[in-house]
Amino acid sequence: MKKCAGVFFVLLFWAVPCLAQGLTAQDIVQKANLVSYYAGKDGASDVKMKIIDSQGRERVREFRILRLNSEEGGAQKFYVYFHKPTDVAKMVYMVWKHLGKDDDRWLYLPALDLVKRIAASDKRSSFVGSHFVYEDVSGRSIDADTHELVETTETLYKLKNIPKDSKTPEFSYYFVWIDKNNFMPVKAEYYTADNKLIRTIEALAVAEIEGHPTVTKSMAKDLERGGETTMEFSNIDYDLGLTDEIFAERYLRRAPAEWIKQ
Amino acid sequence: MDKTIREIILAVLLSLLGFPARAAGFPLQGFVELDYGIKVSDDDTKRDNYNLLEQRLQLKSAYYFEGNNYLADKGGLINFKGDFTVDEYFGGKTDFELREFYFAWSPYKFLDAKLGRQILTWGTGDYLFINDLFPKDYISFFLGRDDEYLKKPSDALKMSFYPKWGNVDFVASAFTPNTTAEGSRLSFFDPFHGGITAVASNLDLLAPPLQLSNNEYALRYYRNVGSNELALYYFRGFDKNPNSTKSEAEQQLFYRRLDAYGWSLRGPFASGIGNVEFGYYHSRDDSSGKDRLIENSLLKVLGGYEKDLGNDLKVGFQYLYEQRLDYDHYRDNLSPGDFFFDEFRHLLTQRITKLYKNQTVTVSLFNFYSPSDRDGYARPSVSYALSDQWKIALGANLPWGEDDTTEFGQMKRNKNVYFRVRYSF
Repeated sequence: MKKCAGVFFVLLFWAVPCLAQGLTAQDIVQKANLVSYYAGKDGASDVKMKIIDSQGRERVREFRILRLNSEEGGAQKFYVYFHKPTDVAKMVYMVWKHLGKDDDRWLYLPALDLVKRIAASDKRSSFVGSHFVYEDVSGRSIDADTHELVETTETLYKLKNIPKDSKTPEFSYYFVWIDKNNFMPVKAEYYTADNKLIRTIEALAVAEIEGHPTVTKSMAKDLERGGETTMEFSNIDYDLGLTDEIFAERYLRRAPAEWIKQ
Repeated sequence: MDKTIREIILAVLLSLLGFPARAAGFPLQGFVELDYGIKVSDDDTKRDNYNLLEQRLQLKSAYYFEGNNYLADKGGLINFKGDFTVDEYFGGKTDFELREFYFAWSPYKFLDAKLGRQILTWGTGDYLFINDLFPKDYISFFLGRDDEYLKKPSDALKMSFYPKWGNVDFVASAFTPNTTAEGSRLSFFDPFHGGITAVASNLDLLAPPLQLSNNEYALRYYRNVGSNELALYYFRGFDKNPNSTKSEAEQQLFYRRLDAYGWSLRGPFASGIGNVEFGYYHSRDDSSGKDRLIENSLLKVLGGYEKDLGNDLKVGFQYLYEQRLDYDHYRDNLSPGDFFFDEFRHLLTQRITKLYKNQTVTVSLFNFYSPSDRDGYARPSVSYALSDQWKIALGANLPWGEDDTTEFGQMKRNKNVYFRVRYSF
């Protein structure tokens, strides 16, 4: 009984500062998730990705990404059309993101006219060879971690997030800093069990586009093996009127010119 | 590649095609590569030391119609892809293969059309094809050329309909046979020589003449059922392999008439991707199975499973079951001295792929193994993308088998180790 009271006291204690503003850690995470991954009904952007490996060699990926929210905060569809490098030009990668079960993923290889289904249980694997992982691009389920508000500054919330399933990810916990003003996550630090910082993600530039706060440049760093990737977003649009039919085999084989033109 | 070289290549290319050389605004991409395949088993093909030594230049471009006109309005585009090759195996023979040259447009909201030379693929197998009866190049496959070259282009009209109740693809194409071993580069089982034969082979392959009644038709209906993909297939045309005999005296093989009916299902299964595909091949020239010279009807069933084990490690397995139908008729009509084939064939495949170094290094092993034919084919490979432009690959083609007549057994003297370097631009 005594122990229970202790726990209760602790919960109450850390809950106080956020309650003061009427926001729990869960509220903040939910808002941040919507701001960073669900802006508008749909969205599109050109992405230029610069991958620099531990020896300083640079590789570049250019693609256009289309996104459609099936339900706010829930299922989504992504369509990624590659322009560069030339050996993957016209390749299309499509994801139907689900909550609570594995995503459906397809890859279209134009040279073979092949629509491939991809087994996709590992969301922590690298996205197209960069230092971003799939989850960074399509969003990590907010139910995958427990969230704790550990610090509130004048401009930022700092949250500590601990994975509920400790076996899957390569980290033990991570901190996320979220802008109090617009709920955009601006930085994340990933740590191992022995408190070693192994990975960071940072929003290097944020702009207001069509009324939505939008990251226009971000960077992921691998501090363990070295190397970093920057992503620059341009030609960003929201609420274009994308429909479900674009996210289907038809448009894997025949890219919708009006949406993917650079 | 710097811009001037690109423009020179483009100018040459366009002039070859009869266009005035105006490079501006035309995107041009491609690669140059060198392939070298060293033989590691002996046979009597044209060369002892290698079965692959060639340089290749691939150019591709696409033109999207623009402006205020019908073609732009209907999303019209012209796509071109062609390969120039210098083949040292045949004494430096130069060649040009037009791999894609088609016009695509969407005449209606519910219809996409594609007319011209194009690569066509459907079905669920990995290197195994049941309802994909479009042409393939098995010489490229056994030599270890890039996977792209396993598929051969078709001269076709493809129409894709998208009504509310599903999706329908219809393809009408001129007959294009598979490219199969014929002795000069790869040795194979030649029934008229009674064993594995190379340059001595004197086969005469009779393709159906180019005429309207010899066109091929392929139909696919498909739709998603939740996360699963269901497809039904129909094909009317010819066997792409010269598996039937026209005249034994003249060593003539031909491509029998073939109808195929099938279905497939693919979707999430046991935290991976599972697929099932079924096909019934109806041998129209030998419906009863009594003609010993013509391949019988066949039944094919495929089951597959692929799983992502994490850390860029993927594994896949497949099982293929084949049954020669009307087997009694076939067996009862054999002549003394005929080579005869089994009623059943079981084939297992396994693929394992692991990526390293930010996915720039790919290590892969694909294995075919048939316990019933007692043969198999291992395809190990390692590739490394040194940069966005440079890529090197090292691999081997290792077919083996106890018998000389089986699919992989007959290829056993074609083992090679190949090396490829490619510069993309």
